[in-house]
Amino acid sequence: MILPYVYLTYMFISLYFLFMFLFIYLRNRKEIFSYPEANKKYTVSVIIPVFNEEKTIADTIKHVFDIDYDLLEVIVVNDCSTDNTFKILQNLGRNYPKLRILNHKKNAGKAASLNDALKIAKTELVVVVDADSYPAKNSLKQMVGFFNNEKVGAVTCPVFVRNTNKFIEKLQAIEYRMISLTRKLLDYVDAIYVTPGPLAVYRKKALDEINGFDKKNMTEDIEITWHLTYAGWQRKMCLSTSVSSTAPNKIKGWFKQRRRWNVGGLQCINKYRASLFNPKKGMLGFFIIPFFILSTFLGLLGLSIFFYLITRRAISNFLYTKYSIIAETPLLTLDDFYITPSILNYLGVALFVLGFIFLIIVFAVLKEKILKKENILNMPFYMIVYLAFYPFIMLAAIWHMIKGKRIWR
Amino acid sequence: MFQSQKHVFWEALLVTILIFGIGVFIGVVIENWRTSRAGELYQKSEVGLLDIRTQNEIYSLGEFNCDSAIEENLKFAGRIYEEAKILERYETAERLTESLNLEHKKYDVLRALLWINSMKIKKQCNASYHNVVYLYDYIEPSIDIKAEQAVFSRILSELKDKKGNKIMLIPMAGDNNLSSINILIARYNVTEKELPVILIDEKIKITELQKVEEIEKLIR
Repeated sequence: MILPYVYLTYMFISLYFLFMFLFIYLRNRKEIFSYPEANKKYTVSVIIPVFNEEKTIADTIKHVFDIDYDLLEVIVVNDCSTDNTFKILQNLGRNYPKLRILNHKKNAGKAASLNDALKIAKTELVVVVDADSYPAKNSLKQMVGFFNNEKVGAVTCPVFVRNTNKFIEKLQAIEYRMISLTRKLLDYVDAIYVTPGPLAVYRKKALDEINGFDKKNMTEDIEITWHLTYAGWQRKMCLSTSVSSTAPNKIKGWFKQRRRWNVGGLQCINKYRASLFNPKKGMLGFFIIPFFILSTFLGLLGLSIFFYLITRRAISNFLYTKYSIIAETPLLTLDDFYITPSILNYLGVALFVLGFIFLIIVFAVLKEKILKKENILNMPFYMIVYLAFYPFIMLAAIWHMIKGKRIWR
Repeated sequence: MFQSQKHVFWEALLVTILIFGIGVFIGVVIENWRTSRAGELYQKSEVGLLDIRTQNEIYSLGEFNCDSAIEENLKFAGRIYEEAKILERYETAERLTESLNLEHKKYDVLRALLWINSMKIKKQCNASYHNVVYLYDYIEPSIDIKAEQAVFSRILSELKDKKGNKIMLIPMAGDNNLSSINILIARYNVTEKELPVILIDEKIKITELQKVEEIEKLIR
């Protein structure tokens, strides 16, 4: 009879995080979109690592040069693309004098590409943009002001899904919105754990201090954020601007991307495990690492219990059917539809309702039309089905790590 | 900014404990309500059984009214069979407390008394109804036994629907560690390992699943 207590533990932890986010939101809701004006003119260069991005690179570069900020240079690192990316870049170079192209003869990976660009960037701030992401025009104007604080090492912004035609893309659009607001809320407790690849601004000095990006990690954006936190740098989130990115439009691509994120997270846990509950490492040791470990552990435990219950139910139903056939009794009667709800059912419903309210708050804050027909259908699906896939992806990530596979794209 | 908002972790923890505590409290209250409802039903049944036994005692002073005694006994058996279903429904819901287990035990003792009473009346009145006692595994049935018992319950429910007052259906746990029941089942050569068992008229022991029609034949 341990299961009810496992459920209760799950509910307690979920409820705790829900309240934590709600309290932070309520306390800061009036200034959630505010950003500091820059007190000086920061010199900025943009880095775009590229690998086989012939379809999007031209648009990305156009959007980068459209940013309403005076950029010193845009460094594109072509990581030995096998399609027409390099040709497109050479053509673009004629139109954009500030475009600088680095060409890798061998595929070195995203982190190595970023590090090579960092070596030649001479500005106070460096902006990392993914090759399929389009930053908003006002993005840098609103983000650089956070660097007035000398302790700030990185600034991130919401990432929104650009392609929202397919069902899987719509679900990711909901997910990205959820992530955006929660990341902003984590900013208020210095607990931002990722500055995502689509658009992040870094203080060059901070990146130099930690020797740039970790080439071994599969999610360089998570690792660099943990590394900056480890070194005592603050990370900030600017909610008033955004960057749009392309989300995977097929289950396989989506699964691979998420598995890579999880593997990167696990690598980070392993790398920084010594910081767990280390008072000198602040929120890295007291929130970020425990949060990641808890998510992993609870996800896997939940999955194990799920499999246990499903298997048990399947065996039970099989035996019941077998015996019913032997005895020639009906498989179902009216009595089988009589439900006696327990406290765990009530708490589960309460938790779902609270989670749903939080999702509605996210949509309302980010000015998304909640009552759109597709949202009414997609939101419950996201909460009940989509999120249930997370533990499976974690399991696949662990299996991937055990097998020693490292795929960064 | 970070320093000033760190206390939100503690605030969230306190509110979670409070809300969660209220939730669990309500849950325990609901469970206790169910237990007390089962307790109330039990008390009524207990009074009902005492009433029947007192009636029997009264009849034994003079002319024993068999028809009335049989009728009362069957009516009472029907009632506690229905109450057993309610108790079963409560028990299938995930629970935080074990208070219902005690109610179950009390009912088992009551059913044992009913069985004894029924045997007495049958003997005294040469009654034509049949005692069908269903002894099941209650404490820790395996997944296999649980499925088997679910089918046994369905068979007996069908049998009761068909036969009505021709059978006295008494389901009771055979492994609830109650001395009276242990003595009774040992008397009819039933062991805990054999559960579930259907005992017809204290003579026929059924341990394997059978069709309702086959059990009907045994009752005729």
